[in-house]
Amino acid sequence: METQSLVLSLLYQLGTSAAFFFLAAVGLIIILGMMNIINLAHGELMMMGAYTATIATHAGVPFALTVPLAFLVVAAFGAVLERLIVRRFYGRQLGALVVTWGISLVMGQGTLLFFGPFMPSIKIPGGSFSYGDFSFSEYWLVLIAISVALIALLWWLYNRTTYGLQARAAMQDATMAKSLGVRTGRVYTLTFSLGAGLAGLSGALIAPTATIAPFMGQQFVAPAFITVVVGGAANVIAGAVGSATLLAAVKTPVGMAFGAFYGTVALLFAALVIIRIMPDGISARLQRWFDRRSRSGLL
Amino acid sequence: MSGLARLVGGPADIGRGPVFWSLVALTLLGFALYPSAVSEFQVSNTAYYLLNIPLGLGMALLWGYCGVLSFGHVAYFGIAGYSYGVIAGNLSDSPSGPVVGALGGLLVSAVVAGVFGYFVFYARVQKWIIPILTLVLTLLLETFLGQTAGYQWRIGSVLLGGYNGMTGIPSFGFGEFEFQGTSFYYLCLVLVLACYFGLRMLLNSGFGQVVVAIREDELRTETLGYDIRARQWAVFVLSAVLAGLSGLLYVQWGNYITPSQVGLLQAALPVIWTAVGGSTSLLAVVIATFALNWLTYTLSSEGNQYAMVIIGALLVVTMLFFPRGIVVMLAEHLDRLLPRARREARR
Repeated sequence: METQSLVLSLLYQLGTSAAFFFLAAVGLIIILGMMNIINLAHGELMMMGAYTATIATHAGVPFALTVPLAFLVVAAFGAVLERLIVRRFYGRQLGALVVTWGISLVMGQGTLLFFGPFMPSIKIPGGSFSYGDFSFSEYWLVLIAISVALIALLWWLYNRTTYGLQARAAMQDATMAKSLGVRTGRVYTLTFSLGAGLAGLSGALIAPTATIAPFMGQQFVAPAFITVVVGGAANVIAGAVGSATLLAAVKTPVGMAFGAFYGTVALLFAALVIIRIMPDGISARLQRWFDRRSRSGLL
Repeated sequence: MSGLARLVGGPADIGRGPVFWSLVALTLLGFALYPSAVSEFQVSNTAYYLLNIPLGLGMALLWGYCGVLSFGHVAYFGIAGYSYGVIAGNLSDSPSGPVVGALGGLLVSAVVAGVFGYFVFYARVQKWIIPILTLVLTLLLETFLGQTAGYQWRIGSVLLGGYNGMTGIPSFGFGEFEFQGTSFYYLCLVLVLACYFGLRMLLNSGFGQVVVAIREDELRTETLGYDIRARQWAVFVLSAVLAGLSGLLYVQWGNYITPSQVGLLQAALPVIWTAVGGSTSLLAVVIATFALNWLTYTLSSEGNQYAMVIIGALLVVTMLFFPRGIVVMLAEHLDRLLPRARREARR
């Protein structure tokens, strides 16, 4: 009983932090993997999603509806951003990094001026239950389930739909895709919008567990970007899942033993060591493994 | 002597010829006479604009000349500042305390940058990973320093001070002499000049040419037999030391430092100065750093809440419409105008 509940609690901790890493990074990793653009305004897009959900909840909209609303609002904003600014930086990775950073500054400071330094938070939906000496939040269990569902949905989107095929074609060889009739410009707008929307969705989902403030995006910067760095861009979904799981396995024990700050320090060290061994991230390693398996006819 | 002239006047930076150098001499004369014309308060403000220039120069060296972008150079600014505070604070009885503190601060910055640089450059990571990891490092440093409030967080007799920061940091000086007010202004001016001309000579040297070659084409440079990892690493450490120099001057100027100096907002500033000036010219970055510090200070001292929105928007506009930097593009424009003016004057 004692060990059983301890193991269960450890699994729960692992699951929640893996879900957190995945949610924090998913929008970012899609934009990076499919467009080769590093979106430093990612944290602010999550903040925007959290603000949308919070304002809608306070206006009386049920929380479950505010999450898709946040997706739509931030996706629309992302589409505008792509058309006006990001579009000019394709193929200039460092330029894209710097310009999205400028956008994030304007968004953070603008929110501060417009909405003030903080906003009344929304309470975590659902209760909690206890098993043995530990208590578990139902909401976080739902978040784990949503993460799994998102992974399945993204896999389906990228492997079974026309958009997914075109997006992967545009990623591999934009000129070739264009000459075959793929409207790459529209594919990029859709991809950026999807990535932004997913950031907004994650922001809305994490909103009840966080303090709602203009600079709340900053707290997602470290986990989201470390997940992306460790995951690499070779295979978006495999990278995000592999990296989120691995980082959760590093952070959970260190965080439980020494506190949250040292958990984050351990993350940075883990990232430095992992890129020293695998400079292209976990996903490149996984991709090679998949390729070998499929060549030898096992998959 | 002609060798030295070649090093200073080489092609690594904009600005050549007698007209340019007489303008530089006039500007320097203006800066030298400035303290006798204005109040002590204005001298102190101008010293603040000047002391940020080494940080900007470090960014230009790393980003513009070597092609490596760091979003976390304020980490080395903060590390040097805090280290100086700890060392000089503990040696406050000794006349050489500030000198030891300054050397120690620069050394600690160099060591941290060296260890960090080893991991990223010797792993040959992709270009976009370095800005991300440097940013994460500085955010971690801010979080760490922010939770160091209380008496248990002290090194020797110096408190780290949590979010309120470290206070009572000694000014720089030798023995009895302290750099304050006007003398501190001249200290900053001399150091800025030394950094600028030192870097200009370095970049015109063989080493600098290889650094620029790495920026242009890593693979080609490597196949020509140069160890690009070691050079990128060396440039990274040097630029961190320059950031550290700014950090030292900052704590000697205000006698305090807070964790927000290594936070996200501060981290954005050197990148903005460099981008707005034009990262491929040291002189443009010097001008932009000075001008933007003046602008930020003027805007925020008037209680203008939009200061950071304006600065952020300036970065976006620069990247969209002046990708090579506003100062560099203005300089090229002037350069096209000047010879024509001279030709017409001769007629």
